[in-house]
Amino acid sequence: MNTLSILMSAFVLSLVGLGFFIWSQRSRLLSRSADGSEVIFARGEIGHPETLTPDRSLKAGAGTVDSQELLDRAAADASTAAVVFFFYCCAFVWLLVASAAGLTASIKLHAPDWLVSEAWLSFGRIRTLHLNAVAYGWAPMAGLGTALFIIPRLLKTELVGGRYALLGGALWNAALVAGLGSLAYGVSDGMEWLEIPWQIDILFVAGGALVGLPLILTLLRRKVAHLYVSVWYMGCALFWFPVLFFVANVPGLHRGVEAATMNWWFGHNVLGLFYTPLALASIYYFLPKLIGRPIQSYNLSLVGFWGLAFFYGQVGGHHLVGGPVPAWLVTLSIVQSMMMILPVVAFTVNQHLTLKGHLGALRHSPTLQFICLGGLMYTASSVQGSFEALRSVNVITHFTHYTVAHAHLGLYGFVTMVFFGAIYFVVPRVTGRDWPWPRLISLHFWLAATGIAIYFVSLTIGGWLQGSAMLDESRGFMESVRITLPYLQGRSVGGALMVLSHVVFAAHFVRLLIGGAGRTDQSSTRLSAPGAI
Amino acid sequence: MNKPEILPQQRRENPDPEEGRTPIPWLVLALALALAAFGVVYISRSNLDAPAIWGDGRSAAELAGDKPAAGAKVDGGAIFTSMCAACHQPTGLGLPGVFPPLAGSEWVLGKPDTLAAILLHGINGSIEVKGTAYQGAMPAFGGSLGDAEIAAVLTHIRSTWGNAASPIDAAAVAAARARLADRKQPFSGGAELAALP
Repeated sequence: MNTLSILMSAFVLSLVGLGFFIWSQRSRLLSRSADGSEVIFARGEIGHPETLTPDRSLKAGAGTVDSQELLDRAAADASTAAVVFFFYCCAFVWLLVASAAGLTASIKLHAPDWLVSEAWLSFGRIRTLHLNAVAYGWAPMAGLGTALFIIPRLLKTELVGGRYALLGGALWNAALVAGLGSLAYGVSDGMEWLEIPWQIDILFVAGGALVGLPLILTLLRRKVAHLYVSVWYMGCALFWFPVLFFVANVPGLHRGVEAATMNWWFGHNVLGLFYTPLALASIYYFLPKLIGRPIQSYNLSLVGFWGLAFFYGQVGGHHLVGGPVPAWLVTLSIVQSMMMILPVVAFTVNQHLTLKGHLGALRHSPTLQFICLGGLMYTASSVQGSFEALRSVNVITHFTHYTVAHAHLGLYGFVTMVFFGAIYFVVPRVTGRDWPWPRLISLHFWLAATGIAIYFVSLTIGGWLQGSAMLDESRGFMESVRITLPYLQGRSVGGALMVLSHVVFAAHFVRLLIGGAGRTDQSSTRLSAPGAI
Repeated sequence: MNKPEILPQQRRENPDPEEGRTPIPWLVLALALALAAFGVVYISRSNLDAPAIWGDGRSAAELAGDKPAAGAKVDGGAIFTSMCAACHQPTGLGLPGVFPPLAGSEWVLGKPDTLAAILLHGINGSIEVKGTAYQGAMPAFGGSLGDAEIAAVLTHIRSTWGNAASPIDAAAVAAARARLADRKQPFSGGAELAALP
């Protein structure tokens, strides 16, 4: 058999298998319970949007009609409050570190003589510090913190072994400090996304395992028959990431072209199988929660989840288009990149159906604004990424700033925005204090949204011009560099707005922490404020 | 289980979400079929049997690239930027007292053969440039640059920063290389260079 028929039959057979599997899940062929997709929560409250006016009848209703639901939720929150708070504090620190490093790297691209006295401030290191502070600092701390908060709530039980998660979080952060230190010093493993030396990675593995353990123990103690879609995503992210991270960091296992293939298998999957599911799970939780309406289609949730799980693992090869790797591998990754449109559309349609007719809730809930913008950007960046994988587009965008713009649309426009929204919702529940200045939340939102818009538009245009110039034999290489200069400056402007929004965000958080303890008591008046979330 | 304190924030929020059972819209199913069809067509039309070392989607002819046409110009400015500018500076002014200037230098504007000799074999000793003595430590480039490249960079420095001396061609550099073929050491300084024919 030739390569073509093997590849074709593998593709078709696996698609048929996936379709059958999703159908069998839907038809509960593999389920022991009779009503796997039935409603799991006590009824009685569905149908009213997140209220913003002090409504005594509702308060009383929540207390009497459905008090068990509320009690379970309060018990779950009480068990996770300390550990979620710790993860969020770390997330704030790494957000600020990563922002500073990112802005510095951005400015250096159009002002190369700025801050050249120290080796660790050189572009090659400060950019790497930015990437690692986001990839292993901000995103996992915010994402795991949110997962630790949501999972016990959805399982209607308390977090088991929260102390392990605290210890794991501490180990993880110690590893990150050591890793960033070694990168700043110039010691690196030399592969993008995998720069941190493997000796330090052992600490990450230990820390990650300690964070994952309580969530598995909690899953075993669940008090619900049916797992809500958010739990699928978060549970799988916690299973996928250790596999990815361990395989990618075993020293001496992959060499040469194999190492490059593995490198992008890891680099792309850590986005799609770790950050993405954590953020999607947050959307699936917070969006229906905030508008008080169930997610409309369990069927679409199934397609979205299993499509992501099946297609995503194979798309990393599109980073190697044009490289000396077997053509079947790249072709398969391009096809699966396009197939990703299916789960993305399924997710988008599901959220759209849920939100339809309830857009008014957006005006009052800043959390919902962040979550909805994040969801839209998930659709945008995923569809863009699918087409970017096509050879005809890739030939222009590969090795240009266009790719950087795309990466930020995904990791900032989507993941980070969703985590911002999640933090705004969760912090009042774990601290018992409301955000003191609701206007600052709006300021944060608009600064961040404007910043990423400027960032994305200018780098996308600049990257496309750069790629076109590089393909044009009649123009020298330096022209393709010079042509990007105004767009790189535009990126720095957008980046500065984003950094400013993070400073506002962090300052607001600090104010909430050092503010008077009496906030809790004022919450009835807070409810009428636009910032009540 | 102790009855936990219920925060007002917890009390005012909606119950945890659940899922409805809206069927999959037929447009989504149609999209799934369309994407599967695209995958089949894309795989069947791709060239999978090309050797991996060619890279993806390229032929042997494309990879061979265009041979530089006979007489194609070598970019002397690019060579200067990558190999010379670290000491002599992009301005051609050097660093006072350490690296001699090229702008207005009598050696640069002087005899082409002597200038080619400096690049081919380097200098290790004292040399006077524009009235200032430098302890020269000029590396030899005869091993790393070809005749055409040396000619291009010499022509570049003779015609930049206000310099306006005649260009030097590859044949002249080749001749200098042949004449000095026996030399194994750098020149010992300005005196020895001045004595060259």
